[in-house]
Amino acid sequence: MSGESSGNLLSVENLTVRFPVKQGGLFKRKTFLYAVDDVSFAVKRGETLAIVGESGSGKTTAALAVARLVDAHLGTVKLGEHDFLTLKDEALRKARAKVQFIFQDPYASLNPRLRAEAVVREPLDSLDEGEPSKRQETVDELFKAVGLRPEQQRLFPHQFSGGQRQRIGIARALATRPELIICDEPVSALDVAVQAQILNLLRKLQKDFGLTYLFISHDLGVVQHMCDSIAVMYMGKIVEHADRKSLFNNPKHPYTQALLSAVPSVDKKRREATKRILIPGDPPDPINPPKGCRFANRCPIAVPSCSDSQPALRALGDSHTVACHLVDC
Amino acid sequence: MAALLKVENLRIELTTRDGIAPVIDDLSLELNAGETLSFVGESGCGKSMTALAIMGLLPDKVGRVASGTIMFDGEDLAKASDARLREIRGNDISMIFQEPMTSLNPVYTIGEQIAEVLRRHQNMDQAAARSRALELLDAVRIPNPKSRVDDYPHQMSGGQRQRVMIAIALACEPKILIADEPTTALDVTVQAQIFDLLRDLGKETGTAIILITHDMGAVAEMAERMIVMYAGRKAEEGPVDQIIEHPRHPYTKGLISCVPHLVAQLSDDRPELTEVRGIVPSLMDFGRDECLFSSRCERADDKCRSSRPTEMKFKNDQHSACWQAKEL
Repeated sequence: MSGESSGNLLSVENLTVRFPVKQGGLFKRKTFLYAVDDVSFAVKRGETLAIVGESGSGKTTAALAVARLVDAHLGTVKLGEHDFLTLKDEALRKARAKVQFIFQDPYASLNPRLRAEAVVREPLDSLDEGEPSKRQETVDELFKAVGLRPEQQRLFPHQFSGGQRQRIGIARALATRPELIICDEPVSALDVAVQAQILNLLRKLQKDFGLTYLFISHDLGVVQHMCDSIAVMYMGKIVEHADRKSLFNNPKHPYTQALLSAVPSVDKKRREATKRILIPGDPPDPINPPKGCRFANRCPIAVPSCSDSQPALRALGDSHTVACHLVDC
Repeated sequence: MAALLKVENLRIELTTRDGIAPVIDDLSLELNAGETLSFVGESGCGKSMTALAIMGLLPDKVGRVASGTIMFDGEDLAKASDARLREIRGNDISMIFQEPMTSLNPVYTIGEQIAEVLRRHQNMDQAAARSRALELLDAVRIPNPKSRVDDYPHQMSGGQRQRVMIAIALACEPKILIADEPTTALDVTVQAQIFDLLRDLGKETGTAIILITHDMGAVAEMAERMIVMYAGRKAEEGPVDQIIEHPRHPYTKGLISCVPHLVAQLSDDRPELTEVRGIVPSLMDFGRDECLFSSRCERADDKCRSSRPTEMKFKNDQHSACWQAKEL
């Protein structure tokens, strides 16, 4: 599958990220923790792919690797035609303009000593985008696009509320006219009433600027609202990948089913229809993952043979893949 | 049946650099034995302050109960001495906090931290307290409690730590358990386990629970009644199902519809989320004689901006502090 012809802006193949772990003495073999283990996914231009999973599942690490904020061990990340991971020096710097990041915590991700306008202008200066004389104009436009007033450009980050700070973070991400924006839990640090403002803004900007989002979140309600397709991760692996409607209306993997059933709901019909599937215990030790299916020790339907080999992702219809030995294809 | 806890006209004042501000302004509520009541609202609306006032844990010198009563078992907690409050805390009323990581003491084993409560309040000896601690760990579904009782907090996962917190809080079978955002720091599957645990334990021991949260889904799942708080005042109160079905205050309505919820059958259309414009007013504006939500409300008129709404009571036991509650 080459990128553009299939309509994919981003296609990630066999991405693996590992971290060295200190263990034992001098002569012990070096061990690694595989935070992202052989993960592949693709995002169509103008669409949103969400990666969901619980803490420690590797969703944020996968996103960081796509943006080259951590080093991948194996795999390719194609942006259009080019493998983003092999780019060097000037080519990399140029390509970085096409991939931008919105971070989770708007309190920590803005430099407290820069004025808001400088925060938004910084990527333009450092990536040398556009004429220096026109940059102020770009900043003005961006402030307008994210719903901030022009006079707020002179303020410092601490003078803004959480929601406004996240707007500055979004303006900064938009500054270099990127194609792909990686949103890592963009609303989870915000108050509920403010979340809606940011989510609506993100969807509006996607339409206006033709953006492609890689959306990382643990909040399934938000994901349901924002994305076109979803990949569910568990312990560094994708266990299910489907379009929005099939995943939420017809989840196949027992982990996805448990995850969805655990979300509390205000919809009385859904509450009555859902039987909560409890998954007891904790995930296994990530440094020594089990040989077989990684979910087997908590899975409500596991059989002994599940622990023998790892299930591969298999296709169930057009846009639905699942990694489980027990799901019929 | 007389209420277990009755708060009347509570006013809590905070001393800030800019002067004195009422963080809680004329709040009244009742909690019945065995029920689960939920406080809902954004941060800075006074949910936790109310809980701290009930526990007698308002920050020293900064916060104080200016007027009103907190009646528990025939006793006014607002006037109780520090020594008396210490007896009540952990014994009759106990609390679990949002961050299970920081609310346990890292240098004591979890068994010791549970036993401490029992020794202090129930005068148990070392051995009895320890064996009761084991029972409690089992009750909060920590697998293999015998081998975990001598673990330190850092050896446990977030969910397990929150279970230990619950074990400590329930050690003396309190009449009221206040849970302040008990699952915000946890994953959803763990949250579901904690909710199940709280519900089961509440049923077994007859403990009344006050659940503080901003998640309407959690409220719908856990509580029978809810109080929606806004800027230190009660916006709406009533049975949970009813309020979700038909909120009588624009703020409640906003809180419910601004969050994308999972529904029984997902369809293709995704309407824009309803936004609640703006943010909670600053503390210095809290005492004003107006509806404090009026600056964010689409229905606000001159009356809303010039006088504080009185509470309107509906036949179905719903209360709303909105001038236009009838039309909503």
